[in-house]
Amino acid sequence: MKYFVTVNGRAREVDLVERLGRIEVSVDGRKLDLSYEEVDNLGQVALLEGGRSWGVSIEGDEHTVTCSIAGRLYAVEIEDERERAAHAAEREASKGGGVVKSIMPGVVVKLLVKEGDVVEKGQSLLVLEAMKMQNEIGAPGPGVVKSLHVKEKEAVSSGAKLVTLAAPPA
Amino acid sequence: MFRRILIANRGEIALRIIRTCREMGVEPVAVYSEVDRKSLHVRMAHSAVALGGSTPRESYLDAAKVIAAAKASGAEAIHPGYGFLSERAYFARAVVEAGLVWIGPPADAIETMGDKIIARRTMQAAGVPVVPGLVDPIEDVERAVADAERIGFPIMLKASAGGGGKGIRIVRNAKDLPGAFRTASGEAQAAFGDGRMYIERYLDEPRHIEVQLLFDKHGNGVHYGERECSIQRRHQKLIEEAPSVVIDDALRLRIGEIAVRAGAAVGYQNAGTVEFLYSKGEVFFLEMNTRLQVEHPVTEMVYGVDLVREQLRVAAGEKLGYTQAEVLARKRGWSMEVRINAEDPFNGFVPSTGVIGNLRAPGGPWVRLDAALYRGMEVSLNYDPMLAKLIVWGPDRTAAIERMKRALAELNVGGVRTSAPAALTVLEDERFVRGDFDTHFLSTVDLAAPRGGEDDLVAASAAIYRHLLARRRALVTGASTRAAWSARSRARHSAYPPHVPAPSTPSAAKELPR
Repeated sequence: MKYFVTVNGRAREVDLVERLGRIEVSVDGRKLDLSYEEVDNLGQVALLEGGRSWGVSIEGDEHTVTCSIAGRLYAVEIEDERERAAHAAEREASKGGGVVKSIMPGVVVKLLVKEGDVVEKGQSLLVLEAMKMQNEIGAPGPGVVKSLHVKEKEAVSSGAKLVTLAAPPA
Repeated sequence: MFRRILIANRGEIALRIIRTCREMGVEPVAVYSEVDRKSLHVRMAHSAVALGGSTPRESYLDAAKVIAAAKASGAEAIHPGYGFLSERAYFARAVVEAGLVWIGPPADAIETMGDKIIARRTMQAAGVPVVPGLVDPIEDVERAVADAERIGFPIMLKASAGGGGKGIRIVRNAKDLPGAFRTASGEAQAAFGDGRMYIERYLDEPRHIEVQLLFDKHGNGVHYGERECSIQRRHQKLIEEAPSVVIDDALRLRIGEIAVRAGAAVGYQNAGTVEFLYSKGEVFFLEMNTRLQVEHPVTEMVYGVDLVREQLRVAAGEKLGYTQAEVLARKRGWSMEVRINAEDPFNGFVPSTGVIGNLRAPGGPWVRLDAALYRGMEVSLNYDPMLAKLIVWGPDRTAAIERMKRALAELNVGGVRTSAPAALTVLEDERFVRGDFDTHFLSTVDLAAPRGGEDDLVAASAAIYRHLLARRRALVTGASTRAAWSARSRARHSAYPPHVPAPSTPSAAKELPR
């Protein structure tokens, strides 16, 4: 089984073979002498790599995983071959546009754009308040505001769609 | 001493106070909002009273409800902790009027120190050095521009009724002032209902130094030395330590004496903290926090004192019973505290919410975890994002830093993102290790930059994790998964075998036709 794993922004290819109940792993073609034992069902893992020992904490779903080793946090994204192809096709179709999602739960204080507006990369789209702090949410890239999914004073959860951007006019 | 006291707070500080109560044979009474019914502070208390409501306003901030709870529970005194009602003079007054003992300073002292402008005037009159700036708060932009020119840039705008880093702006030139003034004033108006701002000089290379005070009800007051709280972000502290590398014995005596004078000027009683700005050998009074501070444990570790016990003792009318010299003679080693906040350092410190799972607490010699964390705890936006305080002690600063790094490596709080990795980054920074930093330090460190270097190991672990997760999901068809949904549907609608209702008992199953 081949996985494409992005750790803190850097992509890696992980090959995983299960042989007689043992999992063999190689990362970017390099075979690791790894022993992975789950401690509980909550995400504590006892990891040995060639005799070196690591207390690993790991949690998440099939696609987004958070891993913690010795106090350091690693943000991980995983795709298998089929998902990788699907995501690439999706990116190609939206051509730089896309959906801006809320990275935190909060309340929309003010909308700074309306549908049809042309926005530049980094331009503030709306103001989101959480924990009494106001945060401006910027456009991830240039585009045209295709639709607004929220209204002012609306409460949003983490991961909620805020704004959909379409490809910028040529 | 009291037989029973009520703790008008939640979370780690409520638990902190409960622990001392237990050790003193005082019965701690907890209060809780609807959402906190299962909280650790409730479970560890002697008794608990429901306040109802889920927001702070409906529960921990409702003075009438809290006082009624104290009366109903038979408590003799109220400890407010920090935050919530701890610095509300009206609450302190209402507690006393209800015939209860207030474990805190007199209401008048809270009032004087709570208004930054009155506090400043009182301190100037008492001969305490203050930062150059305006004595009166102002409302309009034109005056702000004129006054700022007179004081000299850079300047700081501060909400008259502010706190917690809200309504604060730093302005480096006249051009930016009108915009900054309007937004800060608007923020203050929204948060505190008071849009008045005051302007002061912004000091270069400032360090945040604060002095712990303790006064009894008989006019005796001592200080417990300083804490250094310069490692802060948006005026929210991340790492605190005691003592400070810039304070020598002579300066400690001097700022301690100034702090005691500041407390005496307002007739202070109980524990309090005087905050100073330190800039190139000079100290200026910033404000006084008329309550126990979040970071009080570092002082406790260095001076071998339980400040909550001292608070209860003096509130009950006991005398301090020791001199300033005796306090300073107890000073030993170095202590550090890291705040573990539910926020994502890789995403601009946005609040992180979720359910705590996968919890691993650090331990070992001279490691203290002040927290009210438990597996299954829900972290919501309703309350403060601080989940825990990790405190260590060491014979010297280097040992304390190494011990903190070790303890942070042991700690794991899963379910939410926390500020802990950011603290580790600071502790490994050469400038921090040298003690060469000021309050701007955190803005000079890229806390979002990935560190650690075990990327291959992580990539492999994550792939195995997913592999095992997928296998578990395939074996167990949970009620919500698509597989279970289609399986149920297939069972219901397929022609063979014929659909039969699920047997209610094993014996009934035997009688069904196959």
